[in-house]
Amino acid sequence: MKIRVGVFFGGKSVEHEVSVISAVQAMKNLNEEKYDIIPIYITKKGEFFTNAVMREIKAFEDVDLLLQKSQRVTFINYENKVVMTKYPAKKLGKNDISYIDVALPVTHGTNVEDGALQGYFKSLGLPFAGCDVLSSAIGMDKYVSKVLLRNGGFPVVDGYRYSFVNYKNPENVVNDIEKKLEYPIIIKPVNLGSSIGISKVNTKEELEVALEDAFSYASAIIAEPCVANLREINCSVLGDIEFAEASECEEPLNASDILNFHDKYEDGGKSSKAGMASLKRKIPANISDELRENIRKTAVESFKYLNCNGVARIDFLLNNHTQEFYINEFNTIPGSLSFYLWDKIGMKYNALLDRMIELALKRFRQESEITFSFDTNILSNAGLGSKGSKL
Amino acid sequence: MEIIFYLSIILSAIASVISIINNIHIFQLNYYRTDTQLSWLMKNKCLLVFNAFAFLLGIFSIKLWYSPIILLIVIFLFYIKKNYKKETKKPLVYTARVKRLLVTTFIIVLALYSLIFITSTLDVLVIACVFAFSPVIILIANLINQPIEKAVQRYYINDAKKILKSHSSLIIIGITGSYGKTSMKYYLTTILNGKFNTLMTPESYNTPMGIVKTIRTELKPTHQIFVCEMGAKWVNDIKEICDIVHPHHGIITSIGEQHLESFGSLENIVKTKLELADALPENAVLLMNGNSDAIINNLPQRKYELYGTQQADKSDSFSYTAFDIKASRSGMSFSIKSEKEVAENLSAKLLGEHNAINLVGAVAMAMKMGMTIDEIRPQLRKIKGVPHRLQLLDKGDITFIDDAYNSNPNGCKAALDTLALFDDYKVLVTPGMVELGGMQDELNEQFGRQAAKVCDYVILVGEKQAVPIKKGLYEENFPAKQIFVASSIHSALSHINVIKTDKRKIVLLENDLPDNY
Repeated sequence: MKIRVGVFFGGKSVEHEVSVISAVQAMKNLNEEKYDIIPIYITKKGEFFTNAVMREIKAFEDVDLLLQKSQRVTFINYENKVVMTKYPAKKLGKNDISYIDVALPVTHGTNVEDGALQGYFKSLGLPFAGCDVLSSAIGMDKYVSKVLLRNGGFPVVDGYRYSFVNYKNPENVVNDIEKKLEYPIIIKPVNLGSSIGISKVNTKEELEVALEDAFSYASAIIAEPCVANLREINCSVLGDIEFAEASECEEPLNASDILNFHDKYEDGGKSSKAGMASLKRKIPANISDELRENIRKTAVESFKYLNCNGVARIDFLLNNHTQEFYINEFNTIPGSLSFYLWDKIGMKYNALLDRMIELALKRFRQESEITFSFDTNILSNAGLGSKGSKL
Repeated sequence: MEIIFYLSIILSAIASVISIINNIHIFQLNYYRTDTQLSWLMKNKCLLVFNAFAFLLGIFSIKLWYSPIILLIVIFLFYIKKNYKKETKKPLVYTARVKRLLVTTFIIVLALYSLIFITSTLDVLVIACVFAFSPVIILIANLINQPIEKAVQRYYINDAKKILKSHSSLIIIGITGSYGKTSMKYYLTTILNGKFNTLMTPESYNTPMGIVKTIRTELKPTHQIFVCEMGAKWVNDIKEICDIVHPHHGIITSIGEQHLESFGSLENIVKTKLELADALPENAVLLMNGNSDAIINNLPQRKYELYGTQQADKSDSFSYTAFDIKASRSGMSFSIKSEKEVAENLSAKLLGEHNAINLVGAVAMAMKMGMTIDEIRPQLRKIKGVPHRLQLLDKGDITFIDDAYNSNPNGCKAALDTLALFDDYKVLVTPGMVELGGMQDELNEQFGRQAAKVCDYVILVGEKQAVPIKKGLYEENFPAKQIFVASSIHSALSHINVIKTDKRKIVLLENDLPDNY
């Protein structure tokens, strides 16, 4: 009796393709002795499809053809088990394809990493790996996480939030930003991962272009000061609120000052199958032992503070001169699930996935602490008058 | 005349259907056992008055022709009025088995009715007898269905065995005992859930088919431990369950007089409970309640460990001992001494000495499964009282100790001891104890004497059951005006509000009989 793991990927997100790469990698590394692996591809329209061939990246070369050959499915909780069933249902024959015991979402970006998909799993009563609804949502919103982290005493840079309502008058936004911050300034959409729509601007003209770009991706943006002598250091954390540990630190390397989408994923390319792992990066990051430990400690503490679960990657901004660092963002489902950071400290990818699934089941168990209900309750039916019914 | 004749057929049919369903209901509560059902019928002869009258009238009709038919109709009407939509506490569950039984029963009934049209001399006799013998007809139908039922059960059992076999890493913990096994199951599961994905047999499922159903419908590949409550009413019952689930570890919570009637003797009860010890593999953990005399006097040949609460002379041989037990309205606190360590200041929202014993047993098993005391401690606080088992309930200005399930002499005494700890106005609501064989009246009388020392007010449910308890109460000079005999549990509970006192009321609800009493 193997545990049936539904690996969910794709979705209505700009990081759809990256998710496919991450998921195929994960499926290759799940221990088949322990798990039955069920690939579940979420189309850009949000439909669920399954097909055994989805475990190979080749299958995604022609998505339209793949979908024709695949079964569209839906999920139903029946007698406390989650069943994957054919949609639309066939009039004759069996519609149930398989039970799903636990979901492993390997999805990136809005709608699938921000708590929405997680909420769907919760409503279904399906245990799922990774952050819960709230921590996913916090992790996705750069402004909300900044406010919360600051409140918890964690180092973050200042930031100002502007919504599309403010942006109805772009000039006001530009003036306000210029009043509050000095160039160079960073403009980024409030809730996108993978560096999409992020710009570093030095002049008013650049700021105007950057705002236009950022607002095309999101309904709110943040403006924040640029950290001087910038280096980026990333660290992954695995665990839950009770116990969590930090991975090796990495320093992503690139030509420009900021990672943009092109650097981050497309250089790795689909064909390399390596996703994030193939990005130009330095592991371990070339930093002092003291700094490394400080960053790892901050990573673990902030992970617990936001009640994260499973694996997350926390990206830091480092001022290389002062050695001051700031939490830049939380990736609650990091690219390639950050396995390459764990590999470096001796944790194999399959062990990382085992741990994530264990943690998923642990959380589900804790949330569904047994409630005892008996079919007879004579006290509640008894004539105890109005006082009895107060229950 | 013809109209009356057909009316009698229709009323006979309606009365028979009601009688069949009511009897199947009892049959279900009696675990579909013909012998139990027959002795139940013998014990409740008064319910068969209608059937007897109908039968006699049927006999008379051979000689007297149609004249008894009017009386028959009256009997049918009375029966229908009395039994239609009778209020029941544990209603008939229309399982596949019950449906099959109903089909066979109705085929027999239809075959009998068809005789009406074949014979003209015995037609009224048939009309009377279908109703009169309906309690027996279901037993005959059950006999006819027996081979089908056996085959269906065998299929389910084999399926459950197959599922368990494919789940090779699952650890199975069997729990049996005369009393306390359901509580133990809940407590142990709550503790184990702190570290392991644990499945338990739900509610009071503890028969082979109940366990098989749990395995077939609820066991998931993600479960790591299966806590299986094993109930027994007859010799060999535990062995039968063990042959299906093959437990890896076991707990025996107590050995006592529960179900003495069906077991026949205390030796048989001991033998049956120890079937669990026999079924365990050599290196298994077997934990037994050292506070139970019947266990201490019948220790098994194999390796075992004892748990319990501290006692002057006995507890030295215990591997896990609870001591320093304190009780209050918010529950109990205690410490546990094991061979390795002493864990202090454990607490749970439970009452009663027997619960302290159960908690040590559950903690001991959790430790054996690899949980540390720090992992166990928070889980203990999550334990809720099992409904209807010394469960503390706060309902506005009345506190209830709900101990409605399956009372027995030890349990009743323990419940009274718990009640005695409170300063409030102490009310006892009880119908007394049943299923105790020849000792029943004597034990109920003793219960009355014990209650007299503790309670301020006693509400007894049911005239018949109340007699011996009342006797016991009077023996201890309990004032008659502080006794009330109620006809039903509902009117008993309503009466609580009538009692006048300045103090806060605490109500012990002791035993609550299923519908077959």
